[in-house]
Amino acid sequence: MAEKNDKDLIGFDPLAWMNESEAETTSEEETVVTSAQPSVSDTTETVSSESLSVQQATESVSESEAPNDEGGKLTLDATLNIQNVSHLYEQVLVLLEGQDKIEIDASSVIAIDTATLQLLIVLKQSAVKLGKEIVFDFPSDKFIDSAELLGLAEMLEIDQAAAGFF
Amino acid sequence: MAERVVAIINQKGGVGKTTTSTNLTHALAKAGKKVTVIDLDPQGHLAVSFGVVNPKRPGLDEIMLGDADVSNMLVPVRENLQLIVAGPRLQEIEQLSQGGAQRGDLLRKALHENLNDQDFVFIDCPPSSGVLVANALFAADEILIPMTSDFLALQGLSHMMGTIKRFEKVLKKKYKMSLVMSRYVTTRRISKEVLKKMLKYFPNQVLSTVIRETALLAECPSFGKTILDYRPSSRSARDFRSLAQDFLEGRVM
Repeated sequence: MAEKNDKDLIGFDPLAWMNESEAETTSEEETVVTSAQPSVSDTTETVSSESLSVQQATESVSESEAPNDEGGKLTLDATLNIQNVSHLYEQVLVLLEGQDKIEIDASSVIAIDTATLQLLIVLKQSAVKLGKEIVFDFPSDKFIDSAELLGLAEMLEIDQAAAGFF
Repeated sequence: MAERVVAIINQKGGVGKTTTSTNLTHALAKAGKKVTVIDLDPQGHLAVSFGVVNPKRPGLDEIMLGDADVSNMLVPVRENLQLIVAGPRLQEIEQLSQGGAQRGDLLRKALHENLNDQDFVFIDCPPSSGVLVANALFAADEILIPMTSDFLALQGLSHMMGTIKRFEKVLKKKYKMSLVMSRYVTTRRISKEVLKKMLKYFPNQVLSTVIRETALLAECPSFGKTILDYRPSSRSARDFRSLAQDFLEGRVM
């Protein structure tokens, strides 16, 4: 126990993105995206900078899930929340590694929380930075409603007829 | 509308939102301030904490659905302190999928031109990030975030800050934001480390008083009493009285 006293008890800093987003003086849109994603700002970087923790996560998923079998397609579960967001994140990361375009089928979504929407925003931006593309196919009404509710529908490029929440 | 409308918010559960809502508002009322506290959580725990236990009693649900006025739904619970209960239909609002922008603006509109004689309106938010919380963020000018001193609370706070910043941008307003360390266990080193993080990322925003974890705070809701009713001379009661002064005077760490 004694030797632990010198160690930091908080490994990953989920708030690190806040300083990063304040430091950024890039375009307004980029600032919005950065602020729209809290803990996953770090994860955005990891897509391009390959920091150790996410690289490890990616590797572990790669070994077990054979991403190319998905053929760049991913079907979202009916219920998406903060409990399963990290798993979804890993899935998309793996797909991004091996595909130039990922089609995400959002037709089954009946409940989605802000954590997941934020993740999707970050992943979409990450893909752009990598010269890749993420598109959402057949978004359910609930998916569209939720994205509109948080003002994210446009950023997610969800085709919609209804007026946005805001 | 009241002088200050404050949303007590944290999308993570178990961080002390309702405990803070109950005891801080009572402490402010005891300090002579006129306070209305609104239960925006369909679980209705705030009302129970004040001893209002009828689960069928209508309140905010009827107000937000347009079937009642604010003035008819006020329940005096202590001197200077009145409550609007959640009501049994509040969950329906969380499920609303129609109405576009109106869905998020129901509470703000309901409060408009009401409660003008109040110094404070506090909104006890549910541990979620849906339509109800959107309503709180539309209605409030200030945000008070109770935070526990553990890693998952940091993670939850990170998530929530993303939401708040997005609302600030869309609504073109900047919230006055305060944080309170709640359920604080002074003997744990992780508590101090989380607090250090808070001070790093939220300088001059963490209220001076930490609310220490005690058994009394867990006991008093079952009696329908605030800590100031239940054990007025306890350290928890002192914590909340001190927190109320922090809040009034802007005292921060």
